[in-house]
Amino acid sequence: MYAEDYTPFELMAVAGARELKDGEIAAVGIGLPVVASFLAKRTHAPHLTILFELGVVDPEPIHTGVGLADPRVWYRAKVMSSFVDMLGMVLHRGLVDVGFLGGLETDAYGNLNTTLLGDPHGQFTHFVGSGGANDIASSAKRTVIIIRHEARKLKEAVSFVTSPGYLRGGNEREAAGLRGGPVRVITDKAIFGFDPQTRRMRLESIHPHTTLEDVLANMGFRPLIPDPVPVTEPPTVEQIRLIREEIDPEGIYVR
Amino acid sequence: MSKLATLAEAVASIPSGAHVALSGFAITRCNMAFAREVIRQGIRRLTVSQCVGAMDADLLVGAGAVERMIYGGGSLDRFGRLNNVNRAIESGTLIAEEYSSLSVAFRYLAGALGLPFIPIRSLRGSDILARLQRIAPENVSMVRDPFTGEEWLALRPLVPDVAVVQVQMADEEGNAWIFGPRWDNEEQVKASQRVIVITEQLVPTEIIRRDPERTVIPGFKVSHVVHLPFSAHPTSVYRVYDYDAEHIREYAAATKTPEGFQAYLEKYVFGVRDHWEYLELIGGMKHLTPLLADPILGY
Repeated sequence: MYAEDYTPFELMAVAGARELKDGEIAAVGIGLPVVASFLAKRTHAPHLTILFELGVVDPEPIHTGVGLADPRVWYRAKVMSSFVDMLGMVLHRGLVDVGFLGGLETDAYGNLNTTLLGDPHGQFTHFVGSGGANDIASSAKRTVIIIRHEARKLKEAVSFVTSPGYLRGGNEREAAGLRGGPVRVITDKAIFGFDPQTRRMRLESIHPHTTLEDVLANMGFRPLIPDPVPVTEPPTVEQIRLIREEIDPEGIYVR
Repeated sequence: MSKLATLAEAVASIPSGAHVALSGFAITRCNMAFAREVIRQGIRRLTVSQCVGAMDADLLVGAGAVERMIYGGGSLDRFGRLNNVNRAIESGTLIAEEYSSLSVAFRYLAGALGLPFIPIRSLRGSDILARLQRIAPENVSMVRDPFTGEEWLALRPLVPDVAVVQVQMADEEGNAWIFGPRWDNEEQVKASQRVIVITEQLVPTEIIRRDPERTVIPGFKVSHVVHLPFSAHPTSVYRVYDYDAEHIREYAAATKTPEGFQAYLEKYVFGVRDHWEYLELIGGMKHLTPLLADPILGY
C-alpha cells in the first residue's frame, strides 16, 4: 500500500533504498544515504553490508549521530578498522557495489563538487573537500548521487570536479582509468540516469505532485527527456513508518 | 624504559617547521590539549597531515602555526566547517595540499612500508589532481605498470617527523591501544619517524602483555608518553567520553570571523597556563562528568 503522506526527503531516501540489492556492499556517508541503506536492510535487502569509510561495518545505531565521527553511528558494528581496510582493501580492491554521493553541485555528466564555489583560480569559498567521496566515485562499481533539485546545484558544468562522473561524456571516464560511474541521480523532484553512449544525464521519472516544467525550470541544463515521462513509484506506508519510527525518529535527515 | 613526559616537554621536542601527523578525525580523538600547548609555546611553520581535516588542525591553522596542510578534506560534521582552514585557503595564507582520504592514507601506507611510491585509482580525472599537479608536482606522477603496461597515478610516500596520537590506553613505554575505528592512525604511526602518545589512561605493561594483539602503537616507535585525561576535549574519545556539543557549537560560531576566533584563543588557549587550568575554566569535573561514556554505548 502506497503512502499518501510523505516528505520529498522521505521519497528520496526510499528511492535510494530501491537502488540497493540484497547481498550487495554499499559505501555510505552520513545523511540521507544512511536512512536509505538502513531502510533497504530492514526491507528487501537484509543481507546488505553497510560500510563507513573510517572503518565501520554494519553498525546498528540506536541514536542519531552528527556525522561519521560520532560514536553513535558506530554502535554495535561488526568491524571497526581503518581507511586502508575499508576504502583500500574493500573499495579500491573492487568489492563495493554501490557508493552514495552528495555535494554542493553536480553537472550533466554526474561530476560532483564538494570542494569550492566561485573561481578556483581567483575568488572562491572553500567548503568540505573530498573525504572518501573521490575514492568512492573512482572505485565503486556504481554510484548513486543524492542532491537537492535547485538550478544552482544542477549545472551544465561544475566549478570544481571533486569526484568524477563521466567527465565530459563519451568514454572519457574509462580513458581516465576509473571504475564504474554514476547510474542514478535522485533529487526531491525527479530521478535521472545516464545515456549509455553520450553519458549525458537522462530523466527517468518525475515525482508525484511534480510537473516536467517544474523539474526543468529548476535545473541549469537540459537533460535528455523520454516520452512519455514516467512517474516515480511513491513510498509504501511501511517504508514511511520505518523511517519515522525506527530509522530517523528525531527527523534529523528526512524532514 | 619510561618515556613519561609532561605535555609541555613533549611539545617542546617539536621544532618549528616540523611535519606533524595528527590523529583527529572531524570531532573525534583530536589532539586538542596538544594543539593548545603548541600555540602557547609559539611553534610555527608546521606541516600538518591527516586523512580527514579535524578540529585539532583547524585550531592550529587559526592560530597561524601551520604553513602547509596535507589532508583529504574535512569538517566539524554537522557542527560546521573548518572555518579557520577554509579562510586560510581562501586568503592564500595556507598551502593546502588537498587529496582524498584514501590518497592520504596510501601516502602514509607507502611511508610505513618504506616503498618509493604507491599507485592509486583515486584522483584521476579530477580537479583535485589537476590542482596538485600545479601546487605539489613533486608528490604526484603518472607511472606505467611494468606488468600490464597500464598507466597509473603514483603518489609519493609521507614520512612525518612525528605522529601525535590521542589514545585510550598506553603504558609508560608507549605501547598503546586504540579502541573503536582507527581511520589513518596506524599508518600515520608506522610512517612517522617517531610518535608522541597522549593517553587518557596509563596502565602497567603487564596489562599490555595480557592482550598484546590489541597493540596498535608499538612502544619502540614512541619518544614521549603523556598521561592527560580529557586531552581531546571538546572532541570525543570512544569509550571514555562524548564530544562536548555545547563547546563545539561555541567554537564553530567563534571561528566564523577572525575576531571571534581571536577571542576564543585568548580565553581558552592564552587565558590558561596548562591543560589543568583549561579543565577548570570549562567547569571542571562538574561539567565533564556528564560527558563520561556509558560503558555499553561507548559514548
